[in-house]
Amino acid sequence: MIEKDMNPKIEVKNLHKYFDHLEVLKGIDLKISKGEVVCVIGPSGSGKSTFLRCINRLEEPTAGEILVNGEPITGKNADINKIRRHIGMVFQQFNLFPHLNVMKNIMMAPVELKIKTKEEAEKKALELLERVGLSEKAEVMPRQLSGGQQQRVAIARALAMEPDIMLFDEPTSALDPEMVGEVLAVMKELAKMGMTMIVVTHEMGFARDVADRVIFMDGGVVVEQGPPSEIFTNPKNQRTIEFLNKIL
Amino acid sequence: MNLGKVFSEVYPMLLDGLLITVEVTVLSLLMALVLGLCSSLMGISKVAPLRWISKAYIWIIRGTPLMVQVFYIYFALPQLLQLAGFDVRFSSFTAGVITLTLNAGAYMSEIFRGAIAAVNTGQMEAARSLGLSNGRAMRKVILPQAFRICLPSLVNQFIITLKDSSIISVIGLADIMYEAKIYVGRTMEAFASYTWTAVFYLVVITILTMVARRVERRINI
Repeated sequence: MIEKDMNPKIEVKNLHKYFDHLEVLKGIDLKISKGEVVCVIGPSGSGKSTFLRCINRLEEPTAGEILVNGEPITGKNADINKIRRHIGMVFQQFNLFPHLNVMKNIMMAPVELKIKTKEEAEKKALELLERVGLSEKAEVMPRQLSGGQQQRVAIARALAMEPDIMLFDEPTSALDPEMVGEVLAVMKELAKMGMTMIVVTHEMGFARDVADRVIFMDGGVVVEQGPPSEIFTNPKNQRTIEFLNKIL
Repeated sequence: MNLGKVFSEVYPMLLDGLLITVEVTVLSLLMALVLGLCSSLMGISKVAPLRWISKAYIWIIRGTPLMVQVFYIYFALPQLLQLAGFDVRFSSFTAGVITLTLNAGAYMSEIFRGAIAAVNTGQMEAARSLGLSNGRAMRKVILPQAFRICLPSLVNQFIITLKDSSIISVIGLADIMYEAKIYVGRTMEAFASYTWTAVFYLVVITILTMVARRVERRINI
């Protein structure tokens, strides 16, 4: 059903990526629908992060095409800065701006890009902080926060641009185990509200509970994909089976 | 060898000289900050010719002594300009400021380049992923962090330039060193005069260092 979406939110056609002579992505084809939550799993070095980073062109695709809302994001005419405004990204290492307090981290981009006035951005930031459960941390500097709190602020910062797509690059991999839950809870909320999400993750529990579709990547290709119930309980491909055996 | 007696005589002269030294240094450093920042940004630009200009500039300045640079700006450059039909002459003050600016600018360029490189690459990615252009991300995210990183090296360069300004006395700029030499030439009181000259430099640099420490501490909080 998902595969037949006529107006996919994101469409990836024959995506290739080389780092020098190393081919990291070997032809990825994918359609992602509006509101869909896709979890990308696979061993390290399988190209899943690179794939994710191609979608907002933090990595420049070597060949192939990526369409977001039907518009190509590669090519000379694509204004990547405009396109990135509605694709939020959350990083493994949070990457909060250490010289700005929590509020300013969240408000900076919308104000700088004149999308919101300072007052509007402030209101939105407070709203978002409440949503991620950190209202009382508005004036605090990032380094005074725990990893889980930093990641929640990073999610709020991405949401401040009011994106309609969110990319998560192993958002809980740098966290102490006791902080993983609070970040996943925020992501789950976001999924429930209908955000289109691509999540590169090792959290199989999250993938099972929240994902509409799980994609297993290995060696730069999509090996197998399907609803989590199918991938986790009845994987077809030998490599998927081996991978799941190792981590579950 | 009478330190006390010499001090009372040499003190007003050294104070005049100190004023010139500070003026030349402060003016040069302010311009060198701008020049160094421009050069460092050119050095990491995607446009190859800009990178070459920056590299060549740093190569020439680092590869020649300050003394040669002063003479070049004061004597050689006007001659070259006259050949080209411009009758330009620099005062020793102007030549001194130009030389120190060019000299400190090159070293600051390297200091900035290192500091920019030291900011985590994730910072640029986070800023770009929010839709900020490269330039805006530089200004709002990278440079403020780079500035904190390079502050100690920058202060070091301030001190070096302040001391290097004594070389400008060779083209007749009436800085502390020049005043001291004049006094020694007149009275032969070398020990006392140069002791006081050294003390003057020490006092100024100690004050500068203390102020810098304060600023550093405040910025790090």
